[in-house]
Amino acid sequence: MKKSLVLLVVLTVLGGILAGCASQGKQSVLDKITKDGKVMVGTSADYPPYEYVDDAGNKTGFDIDLMTEIAKRMGVELVWVDMPFDSLVAAVQEGKIDMSISCFNYSAERDEQVDFSDAYYTSEDAFLVKSGFAGAIVNPEDVAKYKIGVQSGTVQDDWLTTTLVEAGLVEDANISRYERVDQAALDLNAGRIEVLMADYVPAQALVKQYPDFQVVYHAVLSTGPLNIVLPDGDAKLQAEINKVIKALQDEGFIDTLATKYFSE
Amino acid sequence: MNFSSFIQYIASGTAYTLGVTLVALPSGLVLGVLFALLYVYGGRVVSRLMSLYSTVMRGIPPIVLLFILYFVMSGSVNLSPFWAGSISLGIISSAYQMEIVRGAILAVSGEQMLAARAIGMSTLEAIRYVILPQTLRLAIPPWSNEAAIVIKDSSLVYALGVPEILRRAQLISASTQQPFLAYISAAVIYFALVFIANRLLARLERRLTIPSNP
Repeated sequence: MKKSLVLLVVLTVLGGILAGCASQGKQSVLDKITKDGKVMVGTSADYPPYEYVDDAGNKTGFDIDLMTEIAKRMGVELVWVDMPFDSLVAAVQEGKIDMSISCFNYSAERDEQVDFSDAYYTSEDAFLVKSGFAGAIVNPEDVAKYKIGVQSGTVQDDWLTTTLVEAGLVEDANISRYERVDQAALDLNAGRIEVLMADYVPAQALVKQYPDFQVVYHAVLSTGPLNIVLPDGDAKLQAEINKVIKALQDEGFIDTLATKYFSE
Repeated sequence: MNFSSFIQYIASGTAYTLGVTLVALPSGLVLGVLFALLYVYGGRVVSRLMSLYSTVMRGIPPIVLLFILYFVMSGSVNLSPFWAGSISLGIISSAYQMEIVRGAILAVSGEQMLAARAIGMSTLEAIRYVILPQTLRLAIPPWSNEAAIVIKDSSLVYALGVPEILRRAQLISASTQQPFLAYISAAVIYFALVFIANRLLARLERRLTIPSNP
């Protein structure tokens, strides 16, 4: 009898706590952001060049600069909340942070928990060759026939490793990995590699720098569109963020950032 | 970057590590002693309740309780990552510390309680003047084990983004691409903390030894 009484009390208390979770107001987060004059944005600052800490310990990267500009356009102060990547979606869902920018790709699974902004950037991959290149690249796997260069630790490096090396199409030793893309470009120019795989935006920057270079193939291979994660069902906030993203795209601000971060 | 600048960057997270530990360990001790006394002297019902508490709290991984406190209960209590981490580690540690203290109480012979009662002490007086002084001394060696565990478990708050030692090691590992140096630095700092804590406790144990009861 006593035991069941204790159990009843415990269940009632637990139920109350859980009900508290469910009964949050449906007010738009945008109103809260405007009222407080600050936006709390989560990121996992361990993914260069999108988000990382510099030697002085400050957050920097493509996403960081972009979000800084978005907050400036919204006229609010930006407060960064660093958190491991796995915790970010739950933190947005529970209202611990207002939104999250951390190189997120849209996925249907995540979409059930949270909402997404429009893509602020679509990361495409490109294959660069020097004029006089005799081969042909019709399918991306065709690069396996040539000497390939890539910046080490990038998503392109990952793609080459999983799609070509692990599939047995090419020996790992045949891929030259460089610390920076510009070093790889020097070797492409010198003929030590035949194909350079890089993000499309910095690849185009390299073509401007080396008139002999040309992009023979570009497509979404390794990353795809990037979106900001927003609270579920908050159309007002979503519309505002999409508006700012659209403006920044039209002004070329985002392409400038991509060149800055993806080619160094 | 060289080893010393790694250590420097990561060590600046020590304040959070110590902060979490200094909340979790003492609050766990206060609760642990209280619960252990209730377990031993509290009568049948209270004793069963304490036993249930101990079983449940020792059965939950600290990180799960951390996520429950921070994410699941966020509608009722809005805790900062630091407090969610400190409180959940304190709760779990209280269950372990309760068992440590309970063991120590049982090691003090039960006849001492009878003797104290026989010379006219109340039960509370007997606990205060006879049982606890011996119990807490006996509890120091196993307790230093628990202190080391809580210091290291404080690294779990990294999952909520508290910039303590482990999270800072992750960040610098990513930006410099030197995971080896980053995690070795973190290991060295944790080791130093645990080493110092255990040395201090060993000294405390020596100072408090009752000469006639070595």
